[in-house]
Amino acid sequence: MPPKRKASSNVRGGAKAGRDSTASTPGPATPRSIGSSDEFSSASESEKERVGQTIKKFSVDEYKAKKNATSGGGRDSASHHFGNSDFSYLSLKPDHDNRPLWIDPKKGRIILESFSPLATHAQDFLTTVAEPLSRPSFLHEYALTPHSLYAAVSVGLDPKDIINVLDRLSKIPVPENIKEFIINCTQSYGKVKLVLKNTKHYVESSDPQMLQTLLKDEVIGPLRVQGTEDITTTSAPKMAGLVIPGTKNFAGVQQSIDLRGSTKPQEGENVGQEDIVAALNEDDDDEEAEAVHAFEIADAGVEVVQKRCLELGLPVLEEYDFRNDQANPTLDIDLKPEAQIRHYQEKSLSKMFGNGRAKSGIIVLPCGAGKTLVGITAACTIKKGVLILCTSSMSVHQWRAEFIRWSNINPSDIAVFTSENKSRFSGSTGIIVTSYNMVSQKGKRSYDSQKMMDFIQSREWGLMILDEVHVAPAAMFRKVTSTIKTHSKLGLTATLLREDDKISDLNFLIGPKLYEANWMELAEQGHIARVQCAEVWCPMTTEFYSEYLKQSSKKRALIWTMNPRKFQACQFLIDYHEKRGDKIIVFADNIYALKAYATKLNKAFIFGETGSAERERVLANFRFNDKVNTLFLSKIGDTSLDLPEATCLIQISSHYGSRRQEAQRLGRILRAKRRNDEGFNAFFYSLVSKDTQEMFFSSKRQAFLVDQGYAFKVITHLQGIEEMPNLAFSTPAERRELLQNVLLANDDELDFDDRGDNMFHTMDGRTKAKLKKKAVARRTAGALSELAGGQDMAYIEQNKIKNKDMKRKKGESNPFFKKLQRDQEKRKKALEEL
Amino acid sequence: MPRAIRGVLVECDPSIKSIIMKIDSEDHAFVVEDLDDGTLVIKENMLSILKMRLDEALKETQQPPSDSGSD
Repeated sequence: MPPKRKASSNVRGGAKAGRDSTASTPGPATPRSIGSSDEFSSASESEKERVGQTIKKFSVDEYKAKKNATSGGGRDSASHHFGNSDFSYLSLKPDHDNRPLWIDPKKGRIILESFSPLATHAQDFLTTVAEPLSRPSFLHEYALTPHSLYAAVSVGLDPKDIINVLDRLSKIPVPENIKEFIINCTQSYGKVKLVLKNTKHYVESSDPQMLQTLLKDEVIGPLRVQGTEDITTTSAPKMAGLVIPGTKNFAGVQQSIDLRGSTKPQEGENVGQEDIVAALNEDDDDEEAEAVHAFEIADAGVEVVQKRCLELGLPVLEEYDFRNDQANPTLDIDLKPEAQIRHYQEKSLSKMFGNGRAKSGIIVLPCGAGKTLVGITAACTIKKGVLILCTSSMSVHQWRAEFIRWSNINPSDIAVFTSENKSRFSGSTGIIVTSYNMVSQKGKRSYDSQKMMDFIQSREWGLMILDEVHVAPAAMFRKVTSTIKTHSKLGLTATLLREDDKISDLNFLIGPKLYEANWMELAEQGHIARVQCAEVWCPMTTEFYSEYLKQSSKKRALIWTMNPRKFQACQFLIDYHEKRGDKIIVFADNIYALKAYATKLNKAFIFGETGSAERERVLANFRFNDKVNTLFLSKIGDTSLDLPEATCLIQISSHYGSRRQEAQRLGRILRAKRRNDEGFNAFFYSLVSKDTQEMFFSSKRQAFLVDQGYAFKVITHLQGIEEMPNLAFSTPAERRELLQNVLLANDDELDFDDRGDNMFHTMDGRTKAKLKKKAVARRTAGALSELAGGQDMAYIEQNKIKNKDMKRKKGESNPFFKKLQRDQEKRKKALEEL
Repeated sequence: MPRAIRGVLVECDPSIKSIIMKIDSEDHAFVVEDLDDGTLVIKENMLSILKMRLDEALKETQQPPSDSGSD
């Protein structure tokens, strides 16, 4: 496995982009109490509602009510074309030409004209307050959701500012119901904070009234630590002084001796910036240290308070005041001077450390855009004990290697906790890298790992980094987050989506989405590769299609994958791209198809059962051997496999309609080494059998990438495919034989699921044992001649497995061993002679 | 004495032909002659019924399956 490769740091955004980032980060929180009276009434109304209902209430029902309130307005002759979405009653502002936003009062959608000169500012603002839905080249669509507004509040924006800026950018006056929606959502979110200070939990708010109501609540009240004064008042923290390492500000600060010196990056950068977002930051800066009020709660009550507050419609924000944390020893860690973080990484981190405290949340960056470095920089900013959870033991080692590469951490301070390796750091604090499986394992563990778990659970962690956060189910998170005491959590992912609805749970378990990068923008700036996507439609042959119509759904999938026309298309594309000098990865979910394709085309392949030594060998050959340009991978290669050499990707079968898989697979070529070559394009082909359900799945799968601005070209005919020499399955006889083989393939081989979700996944002993199937007698229909040995056929291996060619030939042995051998022979002879 | 059946020549995609053959395989009421991958002759009087059946079958092939993968 090659180590995770990072782009050289010289690819940086322009000066302008850097400036934007500081501007887009709102300054210290200055919550103002707008209509705080009706807020309490709404809180008491929902008092009886349970958690799940709370979430619902804030998204749909509440909103519909408002929808109805604003129906009406004039209807004209053209109205019926638009049905319910006739917005002609909205009045345009006289200077609407200069403003880039449209607001849909019904759905809370915001449409941005990305060609407008104000678009970059608007975009910065919108990514803060709304969720990007779709970002093709000219019109971007954003949705105002409670979660996005929650995130906006968590970085310190307040409703009045949001509405002001929206109003300034919008072509139409901001509709009343949207205003109401914003105010309602922001009021309920983020007004109460849960702060860990000196290992004690405090409930904090800038509004003493709110705390009083919380104290009077029958659940929260008794949980307050007795004997402490009612409510303490301190001054609010300021962003000033905190500098994220690796940024431009940091370079300046390092020169001065005092890191917490008088440099105020916020104000310094704001001067001269006349954009709208900066304007609202400035008035934030005017108000000096605002008072915050807090009361202490018992450690055991944290979970209960969080739940209760959610029920009250006042979700608590978790923040970590790490600079004033004296209880936990400081970890000596800093980014190496040569580590320069890119502007979007800086932007995402500045959202996390918005007011000088660490907020919990999720950062979404495309594959290959440097998620690891974001995590490392966050760790370097907090400088406390860090716990990192990844998906596999291989990425555990990658994370450790990256930490050592980018930061000056002492290698003995960073420990690894996997089933094979259970080391601890030497000092009083440090970093532990482990996998989700290790910490969430149920049941009995080995003595060593139990000891290690106890150690992890017994201490307090400054930061928990959750890599590939989308994969872990919510139940596992609850377990992890409840057993491990951590001040802040950072989730990292490329694809914050699941086909089930569990993704919204992350909002409450980890935190809001802090930042989501724009894929197209990063591709333009050369941080990730530009990709041409194409969907190749392969017609089914008559025989295959008739069989397809007859078969059960499981066999159908195999039939559309093994479609000979698809096979030919695949062969043609491989040939075409190999001639161009591309390195090609072919993905097939189905192991049977994977083997059939790879052996027929004589290419190397890796799947779940491939041994690790063989994997290493095949991967090394793919990377460095000119003669091996194509690699077939099963879905074990979907994530965390890093092959920067790969420039072309062909997908022959896939997991139904999984959008995430599509995006993750695309991620394999986004890192392409050659991405900064003039006119370079990576290629992504998805081969689809026409007239089958695959067409439906395919369109579903593409949804996410289309929203990111990728356009899929449809290719119905590959030019020159007929002229290709030795095209596979060109005669009907061959096709019939293939069909026979496919139909004979027994169900075991059809198993869609590859063992082990991940390429370098090692499971712990117990789970592995469980997975091993018990040998059970099985009955299959077959001819007697099969049992007799061979239906008048002799075994010839015509399609040799390419992997075997790569085996290293037995080389010359070392002279030492030769001598040993000679001596042995001599002794034998001597013995015989005796 | 030779018997004549009025027939209609149908030209279509191989996949559509497969569907027609499948419909026909139940009671052999439609197809007179299977010519090649893309052409066949069907009975004229059954044309409208075949069209209907074909539409139904096509709907089925494009129908979203209920157990879409969720991971």
